[in-house]
Amino acid sequence: MTGYILRRLISIVPTLLGVTFVIFMFTRLIPGDPAVAMLGEHATQENVERIREQFGLNRPLLLDRAALQQGDWRGFFNTQYILYLGRLLRLDLGSSIHRRIPVAETLAERFPATIELALVAMLIGVLVGVPVGIASAARRNSALDSTTMIGSLIGVSVPIFWLGIMEIMIFSVYLQWLPSGGRLSSNVEITSITNLYLVDSLITGNIPGFIDALQHIILPAIALATIPMAVTARMTRSSMLDVLQEDYIRTAHAKGLMERVVLFRHALKNAFLPIITIIGIQAGTLLAGAVLTETIFSWPGIGKWVYDSILARDYPIVQGGTLLIAFIFIFFSLLVDISYAYLDPRIHYD
Amino acid sequence: MAEITTQDLGSIDFAVREHRSLWKDAWRRLISNRTARIGMFIIVLFVASAVFAHYFWDYDPKTDLDYTLKLKPPTLIPNEDVPSVHIFGTDKLGRDIFTRVVHGGWNSLRVGLVAVTISVVIGVLLGLLAGFYESMKITPLERIMLMGLIGLVLGLLPAWIATQWFQAVLFAILGVVSVLWENLLAGKPARIMLFAVVGTIIGASALALGVYYGIACGVCGLVIGAILSQPLGGKTFSNITMRVMDILLAFPGYLLAIAIVAFLGPGLEKGMIAIGVVGIPIYARLARSSVLSVSQTEYVLAAQAVGEGHDRIIFRHIFPNILSPIIVQSTLGLGAAILSAAALGFLGLGAIPPEPEWGAMLGDSYKYLASGAWWAVVFPGIAIMLAVLGFNLLGDGLRDALDPKLRI
Repeated sequence: MTGYILRRLISIVPTLLGVTFVIFMFTRLIPGDPAVAMLGEHATQENVERIREQFGLNRPLLLDRAALQQGDWRGFFNTQYILYLGRLLRLDLGSSIHRRIPVAETLAERFPATIELALVAMLIGVLVGVPVGIASAARRNSALDSTTMIGSLIGVSVPIFWLGIMEIMIFSVYLQWLPSGGRLSSNVEITSITNLYLVDSLITGNIPGFIDALQHIILPAIALATIPMAVTARMTRSSMLDVLQEDYIRTAHAKGLMERVVLFRHALKNAFLPIITIIGIQAGTLLAGAVLTETIFSWPGIGKWVYDSILARDYPIVQGGTLLIAFIFIFFSLLVDISYAYLDPRIHYD
Repeated sequence: MAEITTQDLGSIDFAVREHRSLWKDAWRRLISNRTARIGMFIIVLFVASAVFAHYFWDYDPKTDLDYTLKLKPPTLIPNEDVPSVHIFGTDKLGRDIFTRVVHGGWNSLRVGLVAVTISVVIGVLLGLLAGFYESMKITPLERIMLMGLIGLVLGLLPAWIATQWFQAVLFAILGVVSVLWENLLAGKPARIMLFAVVGTIIGASALALGVYYGIACGVCGLVIGAILSQPLGGKTFSNITMRVMDILLAFPGYLLAIAIVAFLGPGLEKGMIAIGVVGIPIYARLARSSVLSVSQTEYVLAAQAVGEGHDRIIFRHIFPNILSPIIVQSTLGLGAAILSAAALGFLGLGAIPPEPEWGAMLGDSYKYLASGAWWAVVFPGIAIMLAVLGFNLLGDGLRDALDPKLRI
């Protein structure tokens, strides 16, 4: 078991390296000189040279052949990609072009907002998706079942940015029940501990703060939750249907067990593995969806920052944000794989 | 009761009985499925209107603006305020939204189709080869080619360092030699040593350029030689392919597409390529796992037993049998690609304005929501949703029709 986890950990190293390489190569995709892209069209030659020196942009991409002539081994490896990897290991993602602030610092600062949104969305997705899936599997081909199937198909077909806009239109503009954006009203303050506002306000007993934070998060979370909700409901349903055909379910019924006991004790327990997988995969997808949702709801997380930076052509931020999301996604897949080993004793890893 | 004569029996011609192929059966199941029929209806509607708009309805987005008709609500009957019919209203430049939704369909469907074609062609080919060589015994000729290729690719590194391109060729030859002399010290540490030494010698030929070049290339050669001494087979090829796919899969959803287009700059064509590339690993994985299960079936074993060539086994026996999951996935993928394209357009990374595209239309108009212009946002959004829903419905129906065992 420990051996399996270790091997799995080692196996993601090439993937991580590949991801850094892909993201590194993005700088090469920018038409023209990255240094000019950083400084803008009107930069002086002197400044361009300085930036090139500072970011090692005058170095070769992968390996320096010329340095080898002099036997300069340090110089041989002192190249753009390896410098980039070295900076990554020191958690240095470069600094924003326009505002000159370190990318890693701001990412860390904005990360809790994204996590909070993703967690609430995930919670909504699972709390709605799993019970609905169970119910429609239990009453197969009923009105509830067809509604679930059609509803979940519509759920995966709706563009989440459009759903977000519709929510704002109905609940903020026309009904004026909920705020249309932001994380907190300007007159409310929350002592930050974890920077997850819902948690912080509960810890400090700040009930008005909690309600305000909840009002702000509910619309973006629902928009972000539609796809996980739909996918989880479908997966739960099909997984439960598979299990409900098993012999031991018939036996359980024959023994005269209550429907509830059969469904939850016998069926759900065994149907849970694919459900866990799909939830794990959705967790990563939520972070990608955050770019759109945060943009619409002006949610001060990573996604909105990355979007603003795309428009401002602030490439280090786009690189850093993409890298962070990809790493989290890889981490989640790893977690799903490892949880398999615990959840399914039938699977042997040797 | 009339007696049945032999004449009567003769009139029943058994050969006339309709021939039913598996595909025909699947088609019959598909059209008897209500959701699939709805899906097909939606798709036909969208495709027909998009094709009609593109070929028979001239529209120049560059000249289409009328400031006197800015953000007018839907009007069915012309009045003094709005002298023309706009069933979906007009947008911030006074452009008729219905016209743009219909013309936008051409762009959205085109992006989806091209993107999915890119993903399917590349992904299925990679997955097919990876799955096949993982499960089949590789022929000696193919092994020679594989090892030669590995030698060539790995050899490019020292060859590039020393700018002596013949090194890559030498490493390719070393790979071929390793296959031909498979029995030479097989399974003994001496084999690794031998190849490592030969590799070092090849690499060290860079000494001609300088001591340090010689050392660097020699070390590379040592490692390459050691790798080439191993009996690498189809499993290696499959592993390398799937690891590369894993890297692409490490970017969730359309994040990679957003990133690619963010760096390449906006544009419909770049969006197609980005979305297409992002989709490759999905099809590669699907094709590989399908091949792995199909290649254990009796008919493939039989084909091998009668000595059919690998190309024939792949394309005659395996490919047709992994087609159904791929057809289902590409139908669903079309919906997903349209959704991704709309997301790119919404973020301002897709079609370049004034070109009509559903996502871009939404992105253009949602700022005017506060002033009450709901129609500029609602209709393009419904168009996206319906088009994607159509492909999802059809994909679901196809899954049921093509694989009756897998009814979920």
